[in-house]
Amino acid sequence: MSFTITQRPDFALVTVNMKAGEKFYSEPGAMATMTPNIELTASLKGGLMSSLSRGLGGESLIISTYEAKGDGEITFAAGQPGDAVHYALDGSVDIMLQRGAYLANSEGVEVTSKWQGMRGFFSGEGLILLKAHGNGDLFFNSYGAIIEIDVEEEVYVDTGFIVAFESTLNYNVTTLPGARPGTNWKSLFLGGEGLVCRFSGRGKVWIQTRQIATYLNWVHPFRPVQRNNG
Amino acid sequence: MQYEILAKPAATVVKIHMNAGEHLTCEVGAMVAMSTRMTVETTTQKKGSSGGGIMKGLKRLFAGESLFINHFTAREDGQFIILGPTMMGDIIHHRLDNATLIVQGGSWLASDPDITIDASFQGLGKAFFSGEGAFWVKCSGSGDLFMNSFGAIYPVEVDGDYIVDTGHIVAFEDTLNFSVQKASDSWISSFLSGEGLVCRFQGKGIVYCQSHNPSSFGFAIGPSLTPRQA
Repeated sequence: MSFTITQRPDFALVTVNMKAGEKFYSEPGAMATMTPNIELTASLKGGLMSSLSRGLGGESLIISTYEAKGDGEITFAAGQPGDAVHYALDGSVDIMLQRGAYLANSEGVEVTSKWQGMRGFFSGEGLILLKAHGNGDLFFNSYGAIIEIDVEEEVYVDTGFIVAFESTLNYNVTTLPGARPGTNWKSLFLGGEGLVCRFSGRGKVWIQTRQIATYLNWVHPFRPVQRNNG
Repeated sequence: MQYEILAKPAATVVKIHMNAGEHLTCEVGAMVAMSTRMTVETTTQKKGSSGGGIMKGLKRLFAGESLFINHFTAREDGQFIILGPTMMGDIIHHRLDNATLIVQGGSWLASDPDITIDASFQGLGKAFFSGEGAFWVKCSGSGDLFMNSFGAIYPVEVDGDYIVDTGHIVAFEDTLNFSVQKASDSWISSFLSGEGLVCRFQGKGIVYCQSHNPSSFGFAIGPSLTPRQA
């Protein structure tokens, strides 16, 4: 299997070239084009429990499986305009994926959810994460461009902008300094940047440059107003 | 203060590098990621478009009639902050040198704290605004200023007369005289052309324009969305 990613960062398209007999997996609906010798099936990959686990991670229970009956090609694009990144998993480091960031993976990669408990709860829609591990290729996507941050000490990322990060990093959801409850309540509740994820240690974090949630807030006033008849 | 503009032109963000004691003032909610040796303080400013009269405090805070501003201060050298707007579009840097720039409220992203920010600027009159919550920020002084646009952003060096649809203005220098007028001599033509009110600039100075009008986009997609509660 080989791949290219083109049209970055606004309209990233992942092209995967497959050899006969190889398999590939993606979220449903991500396939844009494919050669006719690729066989597509939709299934609860990994059985029911593994699927439910993905569902808990905010992803579809269904995974699309592509099996190459001969040498062929598939292209993938996310539903939203944005970027895509490839990561080669070698078994030593896992990748944590934010809700909605999973795009596709090769054979040898397992994608499961990692329940965050209260940490996830605190971040609102936030840190409900998927974990990708194993040996193989992983592709994840964003809304807007993806920027890679090499964390050497620590960094804050607004929870809505996290795409993925390496499992070597420690992380916790917190408030910005000066925005702690009791010291400056305005920053926490009105500052809009109340909840951030603090990453520490060494590893990579990928962030997206736009956020669908804030865009939806912007669109909201343009929606028609419900009429109550009678 | 050094800066890099990344992921141009549609999902643009600006990365600002700060040393100990340096400050930055920015729109609340614009912070995507930052290093941790920084402090944050939130303040508010009353927006110029808010009608007078007695409003209940909290209602005003949440009704978007106040501009929330975050002040970031680096406590150590080698800090950074990444800022991004809500909408798909570009970011431009403008260096103010003892001058005044009038910036459309949604386009003001960040500025040097030596620049005075006045969100209560009323010079263009309320008739100017097509959408609720539109306001203008008068930026005066010397320092770096960052603005964002919906779509592409481009400067126009006006020398004489120039007409810009109000929804396409990002910012303009106050060396220009301006007046709001109908797009056509007749009200009917103005209305039918979809232009409504335009701004006529006169004199010498820069007008920053954006290729797309956010309100037009909102009105184009709004009717297709599910109704909201009044």
